[in-house]
Amino acid sequence: MDATQKYSVIDPTTGKIDRRIFSDQAIYDQEMERIFGRAWLMIGHESLVPEVNDFFHTYMGEDPVILTRDRQGELHALLNMCRHRGNRVVRCDDGNATRFMCTYHGWSYGNDGKLEHVPGTSEAYYDALDKPSLGLVQARVETYAGIVFATWAEDAPSLEAFLGDARWYLDTVFNRRDGGMQALGPMKWLEPVNWKTMVDNCSDNYHVPTTHLSSARVQTRYLGRPPLSHKDQFESPNKHVFVNGHSITFREAPDNTPRYVHGISKDTFPLFLAYHEATLPEVERRLGAFRARHVQLGNHSIFPNGVLGFRLALPRGPLQTEFWHFVLLEKGAPEALKRAIRIGSQANNGAAGLFEQDDVDNWRQVTAASKSRLGRRISQDLSMGLGHAGPHPEYPGVVSERYISENNQRLFYQRWEEFMNAESWAEIPIAPITARFEGTATIRG
Amino acid sequence: MNVTARQALWLELMPFYIHEAWLLDERRFKEWLDLFTDDVLYFMPRRKNVLRREAHREVTPLGDLSLIEDDRRYLEMRVARLDTGMAWGEDPPSRTRHLIGNLVAEPLSKGEVKAKTAFLVYRSHLETDHQLLAGSREDVLRRVNGAWKIAKRTILLDANVLLDKNLSIFL
Repeated sequence: MDATQKYSVIDPTTGKIDRRIFSDQAIYDQEMERIFGRAWLMIGHESLVPEVNDFFHTYMGEDPVILTRDRQGELHALLNMCRHRGNRVVRCDDGNATRFMCTYHGWSYGNDGKLEHVPGTSEAYYDALDKPSLGLVQARVETYAGIVFATWAEDAPSLEAFLGDARWYLDTVFNRRDGGMQALGPMKWLEPVNWKTMVDNCSDNYHVPTTHLSSARVQTRYLGRPPLSHKDQFESPNKHVFVNGHSITFREAPDNTPRYVHGISKDTFPLFLAYHEATLPEVERRLGAFRARHVQLGNHSIFPNGVLGFRLALPRGPLQTEFWHFVLLEKGAPEALKRAIRIGSQANNGAAGLFEQDDVDNWRQVTAASKSRLGRRISQDLSMGLGHAGPHPEYPGVVSERYISENNQRLFYQRWEEFMNAESWAEIPIAPITARFEGTATIRG
Repeated sequence: MNVTARQALWLELMPFYIHEAWLLDERRFKEWLDLFTDDVLYFMPRRKNVLRREAHREVTPLGDLSLIEDDRRYLEMRVARLDTGMAWGEDPPSRTRHLIGNLVAEPLSKGEVKAKTAFLVYRSHLETDHQLLAGSREDVLRRVNGAWKIAKRTILLDANVLLDKNLSIFL
């Protein structure tokens, strides 16, 4: 498809989507340009670079990026590419360094990206090298409650505007405590899937009682977790809402129920309950009583490639995705609770996760179906709940009437079109912030 | 020929590991579970790229995010779910081949033994998916009612980014 052609991949009146978006190399190349080259992307967490001179190696799309905390404590996102020939200047996953030296010819960069040393500046370059213009390429960096985002787009709006009212929901997991959160991870593995299948799946609560029934059943038997069935899902009072590009599901929690999904078992429930009760006054002060008591973020994705919180679907060509699983823990939580959440997170989701190991063959076959002659001509059907979503008196965004709906997925692919069809950020719609953010928590934490 | 105590231990343990490999490759997972103690820790840390001088940071410690950190209950859940008929990641099941070798065994205190082995595990799944997983196991073994049982297993994969679509098999 050439640059002037407009994508029309989803029919909003029928929910039919063009399957070629999961396998076509030219479409993928344009996604890298127009989505991953533009959007605010989650790249790390402040707790991964806690000290001055710490660095953490990450990616923006397929571009390798070094997240650094420089000598002054400022965060940078630096393209890991020497400006001479393009060799990487960092080959480690993380570490602590004031400088990064290219192992090819020895060009050295400060951890703020500046080119500091070039062998033979006088002898070989005749003092003609314009060093100030040859620093590592830098992305814009902003943080939300410790989660680090970056964008290559000079014309992107602020992160606050990009997240918009989605933050009203995200705060209920990521912005609860004064002391913030600690990221552990990532574990990394390569899945033979298109990156969008795993993002779209974040709002697909319909699959849970089919895809994950084996693990849900044994967890009911061994851990005393509640049973899972289609009936429970269909009758669930939970909500499904699309907010400014981001796909959210959330629970309307009755008062005084703990707020975590993973790690809760018959044995650990008292820990979760005690922690919830002990922290409620602080959370009410930070988020207001309504959000503190009634709203609990569930499965969700932050556009474009966040998957259930701070976990990343890193595109590696149309048919492969490198998946990064992190767990975020509230720093102030008791160690026993942190342990329960960590073990619950890695045992359920992750390469060996009891739940996640059953997802991948579904996604890969959805991806593969988009490759064959006939398969790619037959659209996907995302018609569930068409016409049954709209504004809500209490909740920001486009709220589905039912928890089980494909409204978020339809809107995700429409958001995809908005990015793919825009010539610049000025053409990408941003919903105004209208939610009332009660409490003291801000985007900074 | 006289056999030293260390050699006798080796001769006793190598068949234990060969037996275990056949149990896994023949999908006799309930019998395989019987090889573990009730207080087992089945642990697979992450493996990071760090500089040679920081080799102590290469393997993530217990308490950090790991690939697997199972107690007996979680191991039993992994096995029990296979029989539900709905464990889709392993239904149809993987075809595996566990090659276990390079055994080094040494006695610890209280009758326990440390046994280190290397493995090459081939996994074939569905039509064309296949993967070779290489790594090491470091086990702590203990005799329970006269039979060796694994009280702690630390599995170190020789991979940073896993190339397999999931880890739904046992190592």
